[in-house]
Amino acid sequence: MDLTLFFQQLLNGLSIGSVYAIFALGYTLVFSILGIINFAHGAIFTLGAYFTYLFAGGQFGFNGLLANAQLPFALPFWLALIVGCMLAGSVSVILELLAFRPLRKRGADSLLSLVSSLGAAVVIVNSIQALAGAEIYTFPANIYGNLPESVNFGSADNPILIRTVQIIIFCVSTVIVALLTYGMTQTKMGKAIQAVAEDGTTASLLGINTEQVIRITFFVSGCLAGLAGTLVGSSVSIAGPYFGITYGLKGLGVIVLGGLGNIPGAVVGGLLIGVAEAFIPGEYSGYKEAIAFALLFGMLILRPQGLFGKKTIQKV
Amino acid sequence: MAAFLSTYGYLIVSMLLGSLLGLSVYLPLMTGQLSLATPGFYALGGYVAAVLSTKIIPFEGMWFPLPWLLVEIVIAGLISGILAVILGIPVLRLRGIYLAIATIAFVEILRVLSLNLEITGGAVGIFAIPQPFGNALGYLWIVVPLLILVGVLIWRLENTKVGRAFNAIREDELAANAMGINPTYYKVLSFVLGAILAGIVGAIAAHFLNTWNARQGTFDASITYLAFVLIGGSRSFLGPILGGILLTALPEVLRGLGDARLIFFGLLLVLGTIFYPQGLITPELLRRWIPAKLRAKI
Repeated sequence: MDLTLFFQQLLNGLSIGSVYAIFALGYTLVFSILGIINFAHGAIFTLGAYFTYLFAGGQFGFNGLLANAQLPFALPFWLALIVGCMLAGSVSVILELLAFRPLRKRGADSLLSLVSSLGAAVVIVNSIQALAGAEIYTFPANIYGNLPESVNFGSADNPILIRTVQIIIFCVSTVIVALLTYGMTQTKMGKAIQAVAEDGTTASLLGINTEQVIRITFFVSGCLAGLAGTLVGSSVSIAGPYFGITYGLKGLGVIVLGGLGNIPGAVVGGLLIGVAEAFIPGEYSGYKEAIAFALLFGMLILRPQGLFGKKTIQKV
Repeated sequence: MAAFLSTYGYLIVSMLLGSLLGLSVYLPLMTGQLSLATPGFYALGGYVAAVLSTKIIPFEGMWFPLPWLLVEIVIAGLISGILAVILGIPVLRLRGIYLAIATIAFVEILRVLSLNLEITGGAVGIFAIPQPFGNALGYLWIVVPLLILVGVLIWRLENTKVGRAFNAIREDELAANAMGINPTYYKVLSFVLGAILAGIVGAIAAHFLNTWNARQGTFDASITYLAFVLIGGSRSFLGPILGGILLTALPEVLRGLGDARLIFFGLLLVLGTIFYPQGLITPELLRRWIPAKLRAKI
């Protein structure tokens, strides 16, 4: 492989990997405080993309109950993105109140909340299908302003072309990861989240409102999923109500690779899987979808705690 | 009656196949292991039968000979079982959520492989799998005895040394280990039994459905089969049997709801886990309805 192609693939891989990273951060945040996997995370990802599409003035197709519906106003894309993420975050909080909290209050087995979140995912995905149909929706080409289609990182003779959208996605993701890291380590709320993750009972004895912390974590997690969904949607398209499922499953690979509940782990895991996918040779592209799972599998066998996780000792 | 049977024959066989798949999820659950690998082994068994019957086994006439079907069932069960041993030994060292994740990954890897390999027919799958029976009802000759056999085996299993070991591991793995039970051995055993059953059901279903493709082994299917057990009840083998029958019939009953029926299905999962965490068939229910003499064995 020559150097040009290498850089091109590397940059593409980092770009898609950065989306995996912010998506998986939402997964891992919830896991870190509750020790459960929120299987509805992929559905929230889809939902966020649909919300942004709607608020950016997009029109639905003729299949769902909301056939041809369109808001009477159209927000600029960046504002629609924020509204979309906030709404995705709110749905995530509602989910916590309806599907997770009752089980937690009863002290139920954590496997049951896995099932209940799967149920919630089925409800969300099929509600989207009933309302907006199964069509593919695309954002207009100029949502990020009138930018050139691609940017050349090489020379005129030896071009390394990267799509502008990919660069924007990478930048946005980097900013979000930086903000989140700052929020988690420097703010009071971030420290409260870490305290609850460490030990919920002790945290509440120390005067931390555990339930509020959990709700805020779900909100942030939902926003991250919605953002990731919109970014992917703006780069390719919103490929129907089911398009979050694949990301939801791949996201599992990301968080297992980095270590469940580990924030830097989710970022590194996301970038690794993105780059690994980008380097699959063209003739094997059919196997691209399996990369995340193969890595997940290998990691579970060799080092179940993940790259950055600490080995936990079972206590009686 | 005859008209009813011929109209609903397809559905009746599907319901019983659903019960068997529920039992395949129930077997690893007997040791407390949540495995979502059933659709993977089911798809594998189906491909084994589909490839054997369309490409390898020679036969003359219109109907696929039954003895060959039994041979396929045995081969599908064997291959699934061997793969389950290979998969189970490293994966079952892990607990709880990790096993669920690993089995999801397994199902996805198999799905991508079957989409890309030539022998599985790629995205199109395998068509025109020969029929051993003239109509859907004929499959009852295979499915009913299999369900009875598996049901009785699991029922009897619960009273043997193995069954008690399963139960001990489900209640407390560490305590069971301290009592001299080898948890890994029994966990792998329950996982392998579930896989063999799923492979066998796949081999039958491939003939029954006539075509086989990668859509048979998906994450959605994992959720559905898990729901059979959780809605039906995960504390007795009667639970998954009832769950498989009810939830396979449910989409037909709810046909009036149209697309909304999957929303209803999802709601059922959420509400079921919150309000009926033990499912429809609970130990209390069995205690109330089944005479004491039989009860000891359930």
